[in-house]
Order: sequence, then C-alpha cells, then structure tokens
Amino acid sequence: MTDFAAMLQTIKDKQWSLADIDWDAPGAETMTDELRAKMRPFMADLVWIEHIGARGFASLARKAPTPEIQEIYRYFHAEEQKHANAELALMKRWGMLDENGAMPEPNINVRLAIKVLDDFGDTLPLTGLATLIPLLECALDGALVKFLLEEVTDPVCHQVFKHINSDESRHITVDFQVLELIGAGPRHKLLIETIGNLKPQVIIGLIVVFVPLINKMRDNIVAMGLPENKLYNAVKRFASVGSRGEHTKRIPAYHVLKAQAAMVVDRSHAYHKYLADPMVKLTSKIPRRLLGKPQSWTEEITHEPVAS
Amino acid sequence: MTTAGFRGEVLRGIEWFSHDFTGQRVAVVAPGREAAQIVPEVAATARSVKVFQEEPDWVVPVRVPGGRAVSAAVARFFLRTQVKDPWIRRLLTPHARFGSRRTAVSVGYYAALRHPDCKLITWPVYAFVADGVRTAEGVEHHVDCVVLGPGSVFARDEITEGRPA
Repeated sequence: MTDFAAMLQTIKDKQWSLADIDWDAPGAETMTDELRAKMRPFMADLVWIEHIGARGFASLARKAPTPEIQEIYRYFHAEEQKHANAELALMKRWGMLDENGAMPEPNINVRLAIKVLDDFGDTLPLTGLATLIPLLECALDGALVKFLLEEVTDPVCHQVFKHINSDESRHITVDFQVLELIGAGPRHKLLIETIGNLKPQVIIGLIVVFVPLINKMRDNIVAMGLPENKLYNAVKRFASVGSRGEHTKRIPAYHVLKAQAAMVVDRSHAYHKYLADPMVKLTSKIPRRLLGKPQSWTEEITHEPVAS
Repeated sequence: MTTAGFRGEVLRGIEWFSHDFTGQRVAVVAPGREAAQIVPEVAATARSVKVFQEEPDWVVPVRVPGGRAVSAAVARFFLRTQVKDPWIRRLLTPHARFGSRRTAVSVGYYAALRHPDCKLITWPVYAFVADGVRTAEGVEHHVDCVVLGPGSVFARDEITEGRPA
C-alpha cells in the first residue's frame, strides 16, 4: 500500500513560491514580437487550464477517501493555482498582458468547463473525477508544457517549469495511486459509483465540455505549426501509466476514458468527424452571456509574488 | 514548522484578546472555530486582516439548545444568509467526511469577513518568512503581526519543536 503520509510530507517539503524567482532576470528579450503574437493565445489557454485544474482538485478534496489524501488534494489545488499564477507572471514578463495586467479572457470551451465545474464539480462521484483529472493532466498539461519548453529559450521560463514539472510528476503519481486505492475497493461500491456517474448532466457535461476542449487544444497546437503527435503521445501516457496498476482496471470510468483517449489519438476515427469536430464548431457559437457569471474563484489568480 | 523565521510580532494563546492592532496588517492562522472568535476582535482595530483558515468549522450566532443536528442546521442557515458569494460559502463549509465537527459561537465572524480589509485565505500555509507568511498558491503575504490560534498546526509544532526565542 502506498504511503500517502510520506507523500504529503514530500509535497510540503518541495513547496516553492513566486518570490523565489527573479522575474526581472535577463532573458525576456528572447521573446520576439513574432513569437509573442504566436504564444499569447497559447499561454492564455495554459493559464486557464491550470486554473480549472485547480478547481478540479478542490472538488476532489471533498471526496478524498482518507484524511491524508484530502490534505494532498488541498495542496494540489493550491499548486495548480500556483502554476496558473506563475504562468501569468511569465505572460507579464513577456509583455503579453494589457496595461492593467488583467487575466486574458477564457475561450468558450474553457468557459464551459468552468460552468460545469461550478455547477456539478462537487457532486460528481469520486471515481469519475479521480479518473478524469489524470487524463486532463496527462493530455493538456503534459503536451502543452513540452511544446512551450521547445519554443521558448528564456531561462526564467525554464526555471519556472522545472518547478512546475516536478509538482506535476507528483500529481500524476498520486492521481494513479488513488485510482489503485479506489480500484482495490469492493465491487459493489465501484458499481454504485459508476451508476452515479451515469447521470445525464455528467454524460452531457463530458460530451459538451471535455470532448471539444481537448479537440480545440489540438486545433490550437496544429494552428501553431506543431505536429499533433505531441498531444497524442501525452494522451497515450494516461493508458500506459494506468495499465501498470493492478487494481485501476477494475474501475469502469477508467475504461470509458481510456477508450475515449484511444479515439482522440486516432485522427481517422469517426469520433472526430461526427462528434468532436462538430462539437468544437457548435460550442464556438454558444453566446457567453448564457453561461452567467463564473464563481469568484476565477478572480483569485495573480501574477504578483508578494501581497501586502 | 514554527514561526521562527518571522521578524514581526507573534501572538499566541489569548494574547490577541484586548490587544491594540491599530495600523497593523495582521495574519490570523487558525482553524475556523478559533478564527471565528479571534477575527472579529482583531478586525475591530487592525488596518487589514488575512484569515488563514486551516480547516472550516460550523459557526452559530448564539448557543443553540437541542444537540448537534439542530446546531448544524442553524449554522447552515446562518452561513447561507450571511455569506452571499457561493465560492466563499463553500470555503467556509466544513467537509462532511473528515475534520472537525465542532461548532463555534460567533455572531461577528462572517460580518468581519465581509469587510473589504478582511480576506479569507484557505491555501495551506507552508512557511513563515521574515516579512510574513508563504502559502502554497505561491504568494508571499506581508504582515506586521501573526495571531496563532491555539489549535493551529503551527502552535502544535511549537509545543513539540520548542517555541522560537
């Protein structure tokens, strides 16, 4: 059995702060005007994905199976917020923010994800959310961060992402260890939670939010002239790490998302033609005012290392 | 982990009671049940207050007869009517599975939190540095004074590791 108490101590020992980084150090000049224009929407997406990842961990903390895992998720919630803050600080360093230093507007798919998390995040059963989060982390975080480090030479960016990658590796380790723990539980409990996952709002939420979110990200990566393999390799990691576990395969939600991941990486699959691509188009037509005002957690982001 | 790295004033136990915080930026580091007692008093005189709530607890405005179930219902109603922001309300709601089931009595806690110079922070505190408190969302919060609740994890650590000179 995994020692979650030891992991919690490691997480506490490895904390870092935006104040540890010299945000005025040389290197910002490596961001050319051309690269800045290309990277700005990408960075805005990345900041928002970290930010909604943070919200996902906040919901997970409410359902953690043990007090240690609850505390780990509490830290992960904060760490994802820290990543969003640090990436926003990088955007400021590179002159990607407007004069007020305001957070860039989220795209419609991110806005939908925020809406679903606000409305249903806390009521999703543990198995569903605990399976979805590592897929998002593998796919979006993994692929996007790799791409960023290949494109940008600024040493401060590399220093920041050394910390972020170290945090993310612990997130993914714990995510899959928790899946092992859940998978080792009684079969009737897994079955009940699976039925709980089959609520219409969950299924619709997954199709309307998650499917276009991941395809939209692929569109953005391709638009920047990058091979989409990067995203696909990251998605494959979800299945490969999950298959190493002994009990994870007992979780039905894991198989559903693994099957979806397999469809996502196969560009010739009908999934793209008949579901994902039309959903991207359809969601882009949703008027933002229909989604209402997001909850105030979306205002907690800051690029300031010090608050007084 | 203790407050040893912090250069400012640290108040422990009930030292905060009747203390004059005029002009000070104050951090209250405590579980919700203690913050509910401390914060209204501190906010009355401090320039600004940051409440680093270690875990949420139910708060009732007055002692409620009739057992835990009744006081939980009253606490839920009190929170719902006092705190309009759904996210802040969520941060103040105790977890159903673990943590304290204790209920604090405080009529002024939520009112104090509504004040623009009083901010609720639930990110974990991971270090005390010379000028303030570092939390896990990567921000260093500069304060002049730290009020450590007796039930805070840091107060417990000071008992085992020794209180800083």
